[in-house]
Amino acid sequence: MAKYKKIINLITNEVDCIQDTETTAFIPIKAGNTDYQAVLKWVADGNTIEEAD
Amino acid sequence: MSLVLNGTTGITNLPSINSGQIGGSRNLVINGEMQVSQRVGTTATATGNNTYIIDRYTTFASGGAAYTVQQVTDTPAGFKNAAKVTITTADSSIAADAYALMQYRAEGVDIAHLNCGTSDAETVTLSFWVKSSLTGNFGGAMRNSAADRNYPYLYNIAQANTWEKKSITLTLDTTGTWLTTTAVGLVFMWDFGSGTDFQGTADQWQAGNFHSAGSQVKLTSTNGATWYVTGVQLEIGSTATDFEHKSFGEELSLCQRYYEKSYDYDVVAGTTTYIGMHLMGGNVAATAGTSHISGPTIPFQVPKRDNPTIVAYDQAGNSGKCQRFQLGSHNTDNQAISVQSIGTNNFRYITSSSSNSTGTQAHFTADSEL
Repeated sequence: MAKYKKIINLITNEVDCIQDTETTAFIPIKAGNTDYQAVLKWVADGNTIEEAD
Repeated sequence: MSLVLNGTTGITNLPSINSGQIGGSRNLVINGEMQVSQRVGTTATATGNNTYIIDRYTTFASGGAAYTVQQVTDTPAGFKNAAKVTITTADSSIAADAYALMQYRAEGVDIAHLNCGTSDAETVTLSFWVKSSLTGNFGGAMRNSAADRNYPYLYNIAQANTWEKKSITLTLDTTGTWLTTTAVGLVFMWDFGSGTDFQGTADQWQAGNFHSAGSQVKLTSTNGATWYVTGVQLEIGSTATDFEHKSFGEELSLCQRYYEKSYDYDVVAGTTTYIGMHLMGGNVAATAGTSHISGPTIPFQVPKRDNPTIVAYDQAGNSGKCQRFQLGSHNTDNQAISVQSIGTNNFRYITSSSSNSTGTQAHFTADSEL
């Protein structure tokens, strides 16, 4: 399992946020969120976010 | 226009006090007297990198040293709480790129009036009460969000284990980029033992990322060494005025812009309790089922700085889980949960699982720290 996984909004059916699979935290896709900034760095380092179920 | 003192009309033509504003809140620091500790209460907690322990103060540690931070009641007169740092693993040979420090990060919108990065940059005074088991010159620094404009400083602790008030007055930077948004605007820090890579020249603005000036006491070199701080105040002007106390409720609300929880104030997230859980669904007349259950949007007590990170907990304290229940019948922890539509004002969650239920409930934390 990847460290991060996409979460689908069950109403809009669009990717809504990212879950940190290690801490279980739900991270909004928002540039000002420091956890999302860490996600972007993790991706920039060559990693891939796991697709939603 | 001259200052007028009149027994009937009072003081008129008073432009400022100590070169700062006349009334309102002088102190730009939230939780300056360390009275709010939502995350861990009074438990001594190991630090990490950008790890918040006492509200609004983040800690960093890299290298051979380790330390804890704890909210304590050992304070100078007039204060209830302080932050206590204890070195739990000493580093007798600090590498050039090692660091150990505690930071306060002011939000850009709250320091816009300081005119950082312009020719109108204000003169400010940072003051705090401090004591340590060690004596000598300790270090710190103030910087911008990009960590490319920096003002290292030293302060002297003359007597061991004795509270002393320190102040640093400086004119803010007239160059560099200083954000006035909801991102980091201004940072100041206390250094506990950073390596030479992070030591600049004291008492002047310079390019670079520094945590201190050179030749300072290295708290991290001594196992068991302690350092306390409280009464932290940043204000306009060249005078360190008496600490501006705020009510606990006011400080808590200010802190909740950055972090809040559904648990009672004195209950740490992850504790087994149903008090404070948000109940969703709960249709007592419906037949229990395993399908999705959603409920009303959960509002935050205070709007957040930015869309926060949410961690959900069931009653037993399992993170990333919720509890599904059938009223009068059963409740089952450790059930799947999906948090969605996280905004600055609220969020919602949906759950489905194999547990027959008519409703669901969960705790949460919302973190929008800088």
